Amino acid sequence: MQKSKKNKYHLVGTDKEYKIYENKQGEVIINGKKIEVSITPKDGFLELNHNGKTYFAEIVEKDQNKYVVLINGNTYKFSVETPISYKRKKILGMSLGRSSKYVVEAPMPGNVIEIMVEKDSEIKAGDTLLVLEAMKMQNEIISEVNGVVKKISCSTNSYVNKDDVLVEIEKS
Amino acid sequence: MIKSVLIANRGEIAIRIIKTAKRLGIKTYVLLTKKEPNSLYVQEADEICDITETTSAIPEFLDIENILSVAVKNKIEAIHPGYGFLAESPYFAQRCKSEGITFIGPSPEVIYNMGNKTIARQIAIKHKIPLLQGSKQNVKSVKEALALAENIGYPVIIKAAAGGGGKGMRIVREKSQMSKMYNLARSESEKAFNDSAVFIERYIDNPKHIEFQILADSHGNCIHLGERECSIQRKHQKLLEEAPSVALNDELREKMGRCAIELAKAVGYENAGTVEFLLDGDNNYYFMEMNTRIQVEHPVTELVTGIDLVEQQFKIANGEKLNYNQENIKLKGAAIEFRVNAEDVQTNFSPNIGIVENIVMPKGENVRVDSGFTDKAVISPDFDSMIAKIIVYGKTREEAIKNSIEALNQVRIKGIKSTVPFFKAVLRNKHFINGDFTTAFLDKQMKKMYHQEADEDMIAAFLIYKTHMEEIEIMNSKDLDFGKGRELPPWQLTNRIKSL
Repeated sequence: MQKSKKNKYHLVGTDKEYKIYENKQGEVIINGKKIEVSITPKDGFLELNHNGKTYFAEIVEKDQNKYVVLINGNTYKFSVETPISYKRKKILGMSLGRSSKYVVEAPMPGNVIEIMVEKDSEIKAGDTLLVLEAMKMQNEIISEVNGVVKKISCSTNSYVNKDDVLVEIEKS
Repeated sequence: MIKSVLIANRGEIAIRIIKTAKRLGIKTYVLLTKKEPNSLYVQEADEICDITETTSAIPEFLDIENILSVAVKNKIEAIHPGYGFLAESPYFAQRCKSEGITFIGPSPEVIYNMGNKTIARQIAIKHKIPLLQGSKQNVKSVKEALALAENIGYPVIIKAAAGGGGKGMRIVREKSQMSKMYNLARSESEKAFNDSAVFIERYIDNPKHIEFQILADSHGNCIHLGERECSIQRKHQKLLEEAPSVALNDELREKMGRCAIELAKAVGYENAGTVEFLLDGDNNYYFMEMNTRIQVEHPVTELVTGIDLVEQQFKIANGEKLNYNQENIKLKGAAIEFRVNAEDVQTNFSPNIGIVENIVMPKGENVRVDSGFTDKAVISPDFDSMIAKIIVYGKTREEAIKNSIEALNQVRIKGIKSTVPFFKAVLRNKHFINGDFTTAFLDKQMKKMYHQEADEDMIAAFLIYKTHMEEIEIMNSKDLDFGKGRELPPWQLTNRIKSL
């Protein structure tokens, strides 16, 4: 006998969560609602159709149960959790990827011109952490969170590569 | 007519110049560099000058002597500098002149005078062009800056004398910030322009940025081709430009246009140029600077006037008289330009370096695309982040906005993120639609910097769910379907290939 709910997973995003499973007919149910989406490859992209609307998509990153996709050029990150792993993470209070540590990485290779913060400085979201010179521009690297600077992993006048860790912040 | 031209530039503007030059029967030469060996502009040119072997510490498109030696060796008559790089280098224009090469642009003296913002201000004052209150000379110390700011009143802006493009510019709102901002502006100016000189002027918080396109020939004729609305900016970098501006009526257009012509005539301008103004809420306008080159945003003017600006540049450089009087210039319809940059709007517009794996640009009778890239193009940190410009026309501004939404919906870019989701949000913003926006638009009138279609988030979750199920299925059935040649749906195949 077939179970009525197959492949039950929780998709946990940056600010949204979805409960998804397949019913007996193999239809996808998201948060209790049947969702029909067709996926077609076209011109090297994935085209998704839903409710008469077309979305173009690209799978950017896949790391075990963590995925990054682009839909219409916007980034979406989700981790796929089984009911068990979801429950466990909830209990452990890890709140799924929303750890208290916030790591600032270099968005591009460049030279660190100026560091505006020190270890243990308290910062607010929107504060400039440092100035990175790249593409002939001085780019202010800004904190997206409130917190305290735990570690500065770069130094003034040093060259950093893309994705190098610059600053670690303990979120408050 | 000029028979041959060396284009001392790359990317979309090189291709743009090639198009017109070919139509005029001018043979085009471009520089092949080792940074972009497979670039589109190289494929479009008639002749390629290989400088990949050049060993010089100076970046290719800034290497005056090397560029000139290429031109001399190939007996090329003229040099078109495009925008950026050497386009506003008076020394380069002078060196062209002394080698007997026609520089497509104004004279070295004019480039120098307008390029140096302090001198440009002095000329404007002399000819009674409206100007913001500010320093008459370069500011030499923090102390002097503080004294000036006290006199002008805060906020003030510190600008690079040699500046442009938003580099070396800092706003100072109160005394305590002066020393930090002064030093930042100087160091940025030094880096960007090899000249740390800065000046100070009154800062208007919410102005509109309006610029006038002018054409001046060597026979003393000068006309303007109307304005461009360039207020949609981020950190003084233009993102979207329009022609005409909703802020101008015919009377104001004529007044500002006349002012632009007056300034051009005062400096003895020759060729295509742009006079930039700030416009405040009470329709007061102030001369800001003059750009002595073809602008990135020139296509919007071309679409509403029907005049090919690059063609005019060649003809003027060739010594021809302008074919138009001011009365002939009629603005028809509305045009909007979108600068598609390799930037991630979701992470504060940070440059997104990578490979453009696949790119689909919009098509249609109201759409023009000026692009420097094709598939598999590398977005290199060596150059700016612009991939393409999409320029959309409409009989009215309303129609241009509607056509733009349709055009941007056709854009597909794989491999990097672009500013397209940002433009989709702008086009739906009621302040933009109503035209009541200023240079503070991004800071004050946009709540969200990118547009999401309804359910995009859920669609993402769906796709990831399906992909994950496939992954699990592949894992589970690996042994079972080995060698069986099981048929896979094509999108699943794509995924598998990708995951390799």
